[in-house]
Amino acid sequence: MHYQGDYYWGYYMPTRSIGSDPMERVVKLASEKAVVIFSLSSCCMCHAVKRLFCGMGVNPTVYELDQDPRGKDLETALMRLLGNSQPLPVVFIGGKLIGAMDRVMASHINGTLVPLLKEAGALWL
Amino acid sequence: MANHHIPYALLHGMNVPTSFINQEGSAFDFGELEEAIVLQGAKANLLTGRTAATLEMFPSWPMRYQQTPGSSKSGGESTDSGSALNTISSKTENQFEPDFPISKKASSSYHQAFDQQNLQLQQQQQQEMASDPSRTGTSLNQSAPIVKPLQEKKRASTSEKQLDAKTLRRLAQNKEAAKKSRLRKKAYVQQLESSRIKLTQLEQELQRARSQGLLLGSSGGGVGNISSGAVICDMEYARWLEDDERHMSELRTGLHSNLSDTDLRLMVNTYLSHYDEIFRLKGMAAKFDVFHLLTGMWTSPAERCFLWMGGFRPSELIKILISQLDPLTEQQLMGICSLQHSSQQAEEALSQGLEQLQQSLIDTVAGGPAIDGMQQMAIALSKLANLEGFVRQADNLRQQTLHQLPRILTVRQAARCFLVIGEYYGRLRALSSLWASRPRGRLMSDEQPCQTTTELQMVQPSQSHFSHF
Repeated sequence: MHYQGDYYWGYYMPTRSIGSDPMERVVKLASEKAVVIFSLSSCCMCHAVKRLFCGMGVNPTVYELDQDPRGKDLETALMRLLGNSQPLPVVFIGGKLIGAMDRVMASHINGTLVPLLKEAGALWL
Repeated sequence: MANHHIPYALLHGMNVPTSFINQEGSAFDFGELEEAIVLQGAKANLLTGRTAATLEMFPSWPMRYQQTPGSSKSGGESTDSGSALNTISSKTENQFEPDFPISKKASSSYHQAFDQQNLQLQQQQQQEMASDPSRTGTSLNQSAPIVKPLQEKKRASTSEKQLDAKTLRRLAQNKEAAKKSRLRKKAYVQQLESSRIKLTQLEQELQRARSQGLLLGSSGGGVGNISSGAVICDMEYARWLEDDERHMSELRTGLHSNLSDTDLRLMVNTYLSHYDEIFRLKGMAAKFDVFHLLTGMWTSPAERCFLWMGGFRPSELIKILISQLDPLTEQQLMGICSLQHSSQQAEEALSQGLEQLQQSLIDTVAGGPAIDGMQQMAIALSKLANLEGFVRQADNLRQQTLHQLPRILTVRQAARCFLVIGEYYGRLRALSSLWASRPRGRLMSDEQPCQTTTELQMVQPSQSHFSHF
């Protein structure tokens, strides 16, 4: 798992220079990696979704929005995107929005998740 | 006026047995009247049979017949009779009211019947009188007056007199009936009030008993505090189980009767909607009482023992199905195994998430001396709120798994799957009942509370709070 949040505190801050519109940031961050999860470090369901991908052998990129100084904005943007007051955790695969935990599990059960992961290059075999 | 205590018959020289004479008070007129009518002949039988009964019931009747014979002769005197009737009516009304058991409706209908009969008799008598002038005027006049008062009321020259007597009678009856009605209403209201008080008392007792853990009821051993949400959940679930029985028998007959695939698919889809219904119910129950679901109090003990996150474990169910579905194609087998595998992964993820929640909650509740008690509770409460989310996700997983089955399998196989599932859980429920009612040995005294619990559960309809979801 890569915790991109660390980058905001370090010397290397490439994402800061990019446009301040939160939605733009969301889209950009989502498309940078194969599997992107927006999460809250304290949230247990977020933990569950992370464990799911790790259990499948996938290495997701996690953004802990409660540890990001502009995390609140991102969270609001995601709220608008999902039309939900509790948008986290939310998963993007190959830049495409998959959704929250229920959508992720549904797609795993109906067999569409693994092909998506393979397509995005997150899974081999 | 003074004559009104003397029987007409005697007054007019009729031959009347002395036993009928002058029983003072209101009752005497019955026998007298009856006798007099009998002596008259025509339609007497008709009248007697009926009027005897009715007359006996209505002490107010005699008033009418206390008129003086003179009143029958002239219109003028009928006023007197009318007024006499007035006073008599009012007197007797007061006298008889408390003893009167007949309802207003009955009394008025009786009166109407009597009126009609008398009308007939009067008409006949008039005809007799008219057609047979040879008869002794007196005797006729003597006999006629028996019913004359009534007849006269109807034929009085002034309609007012007629109305008076009749109206008075009606008014008297109405007054009586109204009073009785008021008394009845009062009694009813009093009864309602006392019932209400009793109900409140019972509720309080029940609450007290529950809080003391005296009532084990359906909530299991220990402190039996069952929330209303839980009660509703159990009720809805019992209903769902009844529907399940129906659907299962339909599927069974469908499979055995070799229905077409289209028809079978329809049945399978109906069954899936039936499952969707229980998940919807559980979703609502999770809002009201998540612990009721998570602790499995809505299920039978055997199911409760192997519960996973408030219901069945999908991967376990699929394992059962694989063993039951014999001829599977390579593709189908792969599909089923893949389904089992995915389900296992999802279950694992959810379990780990729930574990983390538990750990977090423990940390909060254990707390430390530095943490403010109120704040601690507030944080703990907000963490507990996450439980609902986990139960919902678990149910979601179950629902998705069931929906996936018909996609991998043929229609017949899918139908068989649902039958297998239903029968399996039915057997688990039966197992719970059998276990609870098995003969017990020396250890009975130790196990008493638990047994009472399960026994209580068994005593209730077998479908209540038994689950397989």
